[in-house]
Amino acid sequence: MRSIVYYLREFLRPEWIRKFFFAKTAPLETPSYFKDYPSLTGNECVACLSCMMICPAPDAIAVLRTRDGWEPEIYPGHCVRCGLCVEACPEAVLASGRILDVTSRDGTALWSWYRLEVDDTLCMRCGNCCVSCPVNRKIDQQLAGSGTSSSDEVIMRVEGGRVRVIHEEKCTGCKTCELNCPNGAIRVARMVEGVQIAEAEA
Amino acid sequence: MSILQKIKNTVRSRSIHVSYVDVGSCNGCDIEVLACLAPRYDIEQYGIYVHNNPREADVLLVIGSVTPQWVDKLRDIWEKIPEPKVAVAIGNCPISGCVYARKGTLTSPPVEKYIPIAAQVPGCPPRPTEILSAILSVAPLIFKDYEEKQP
Repeated sequence: MRSIVYYLREFLRPEWIRKFFFAKTAPLETPSYFKDYPSLTGNECVACLSCMMICPAPDAIAVLRTRDGWEPEIYPGHCVRCGLCVEACPEAVLASGRILDVTSRDGTALWSWYRLEVDDTLCMRCGNCCVSCPVNRKIDQQLAGSGTSSSDEVIMRVEGGRVRVIHEEKCTGCKTCELNCPNGAIRVARMVEGVQIAEAEA
Repeated sequence: MSILQKIKNTVRSRSIHVSYVDVGSCNGCDIEVLACLAPRYDIEQYGIYVHNNPREADVLLVIGSVTPQWVDKLRDIWEKIPEPKVAVAIGNCPISGCVYARKGTLTSPPVEKYIPIAAQVPGCPPRPTEILSAILSVAPLIFKDYEEKQP
């Protein structure tokens, strides 16, 4: 009998009973380094659209015109919270988690250029791409018709019966050539590479 | 309000049975739902019990953008759940289709076209805490005074 009373007293401690019924794990807090939906830092957006170009999810980000300038807007049902727009923005308009701290500490940036690719099996050497290109137009006023040019400074020209890309780095990525190609032989691709600033300067 | 109704409200807010269905996702959100079951988030301490049986469920978690094979089956599952019931869309896929919402993919989001959705949890994938708080906030709202709200 005494042992039963002893055990009841031992196991029916109010503290234990309270813990049994009301035990909860620690409050679930979002850690500070969590990459949430990007938020605005207040820096002025210059509408370079780097964020929209790098975004992997369809319709997740749009740079919208506001009363006094431009402003990127994130759509939560579409955004995958990868943080690439935060990294790509040259003005640090967006912030998310500790991405900005890490990129400034490591001196990393995203370096992009445009690659022009002509499929020789599809290309029929009409020269539409060379003629329609607005950059070509500015460099060589005489460029017309067949797409041949005497200038070495143009992005591309018809040379020896095929299109030769000479100065890829001048391409602005407007894709006018893609639009005017009747066969879809020319492709403009935006290439992005992660670099460190010291590396980029060298 | 009758005492019986009060008891029902209390019990329903403390005992939510959840069933989840993946209608064609990348499994990322499924893993986050499973993380809710693990001791770190421990969904059962809130009275939420996950067992994949629609006939016993109160809350249906819909995961994934809807593939053609799931269109009729999803509606079947929804009809099997006894009243009162509520469906919660987990992740971007049931809301917008996320990365699958482009040309050439065999999906037809959003899931709202097929069954009524009471709450959406955006994210790719959403955090387990977001899933938890969504279930906890939406279920009692729908189930409270359910019998009295009936016409």
